[in-house]
Amino acid sequence: MFDILKDLIFSSGLVSLTGGNLVMWLISFVLLYLAIKKQYEPLLLLPIAFGILVVNLPLTFLMEPEHGLIWFFYHYGIELDIIPPLIFLGLGAMIDFGPLIANPKTLLLGAGAQAGLYVTFFAAVLFGFDLQEAASIAIIGGADGPTTIYLTSKLAPHLLGATAVSAYAYMALVPIIQPPVMKLLTTDHERQIVMKKLRPVSKLQRVCFPIVTAMTIMLVVPPAAPLISMLMLGNLFKESGVVERLTKASSNELMNIVTIFLGLSVGATMTASTFLNPKVLFIFFLGLFAFVISTAAGLIMAKFMNLFLKDKINPLIGAAGVSAVPMAARCVHKVGSEANRRNYLLMYAMGPNVAGVIGTVVAAAILLKNLG
Amino acid sequence: MPELIAPIAGNVWKILVAVGDKVELDDEVVILEALKMETPIYCEESGTITEIKVKEGDAVNEGDVLVVFG
Amino acid sequence: METDWSKVIEVFSSGIIGVFLVMFLLQVLTQLSTRVIDAVENRCKGADADQPVAPSQD
Repeated sequence: MFDILKDLIFSSGLVSLTGGNLVMWLISFVLLYLAIKKQYEPLLLLPIAFGILVVNLPLTFLMEPEHGLIWFFYHYGIELDIIPPLIFLGLGAMIDFGPLIANPKTLLLGAGAQAGLYVTFFAAVLFGFDLQEAASIAIIGGADGPTTIYLTSKLAPHLLGATAVSAYAYMALVPIIQPPVMKLLTTDHERQIVMKKLRPVSKLQRVCFPIVTAMTIMLVVPPAAPLISMLMLGNLFKESGVVERLTKASSNELMNIVTIFLGLSVGATMTASTFLNPKVLFIFFLGLFAFVISTAAGLIMAKFMNLFLKDKINPLIGAAGVSAVPMAARCVHKVGSEANRRNYLLMYAMGPNVAGVIGTVVAAAILLKNLG
Repeated sequence: MPELIAPIAGNVWKILVAVGDKVELDDEVVILEALKMETPIYCEESGTITEIKVKEGDAVNEGDVLVVFG
Repeated sequence: METDWSKVIEVFSSGIIGVFLVMFLLQVLTQLSTRVIDAVENRCKGADADQPVAPSQD
């Protein structure tokens, strides 16, 4: 009788608990609170938080290679690169490239913001990270969850939890991070610039864009293929108007299902031993740095372009090159309306915002080509 | 008669004026919801509202007339 | 682990130049295809408008 009890106790996870596990529980509880009570990005934060919790309950073997339930989600979903491209499929089915097609120059603003990524890469190397780790940290500045997860799982999978949580956390904090940078780098006069009306975009042009983009990007930067092909396919679904069932499935059911597996798997990589080391603090700091630098890079690019443009662009929209869609665009609109109430920058900002999504994929692909 | 035109596409969230109200430049007239963000639309000039062409919940496109005033 | 600085510089510069080149290429192609489609659509619209009035024109 006593033996049975002893057996029960010793086979339970309780005896294997480490202090680290308890800290991770605390982190998980905080994130659960933020997700449920404060409704902070709950779609992602809730499964991530729960993933963290369950993986820090010892002896469950949920993440045991070849055996664990969550390991299977992680292996087939993330390691085999299925989940991020599927999220991009859903994203493409929801994205409106209209403002971009109307003003293709904004593609350069998307590029400008991504240039900031490489500055972060440099900084990360200086901090002592190896090249692959530095690249995974740099891509946080792309403000794109799936691309961050895609690149990190390939180059530095041990940093997955930290980079993913960083990326999503700072995306939610864009309304706080960006305005100071925007106000610092632009003059009051520049912020008041009203832009020329966007030309109308025809349906054929909207259908042509994803096809041209997919072909161009995949021919020039093949490693971008999994992400860009899905993004453009989703967009083609939407713009063609003839496959509404597929568009709906991509942007609703599929997105939702994939998000469940994504959140859970990412959270489950955050074991006490992987997460509780000083590197993670640096990652959170560099992640913030990445967002700030990318915002600045986009703004500077816009100001630079203005030197050559007859119809000036409002440099604020450069900040929307940070592809947190549509948070950055909304932020640009708000700051713009503070300078001039009757300036409605939202749609203009969407151009660089969606260009940034494409830009981040290109930047990730180039990093992968160099370091993969 | 001058009109207040929707500068962006969105849904009419709140109408802050009534027919007969006097409005000044930069007064908040209507709030649209675009991309889940409340976007106040401000008056381009002063006048008196003669007609409100939309109601709360309507979807508007860029260029649609929201309010007419004289 | 020694940092391979030449590699860092290589990644940094090829990255920045690469992103700009690709996005610029995409911009040019988008502008091109948009203009072509504009021209095609205007011609079609012009032809349709002419039809009922003077089908023998052109």
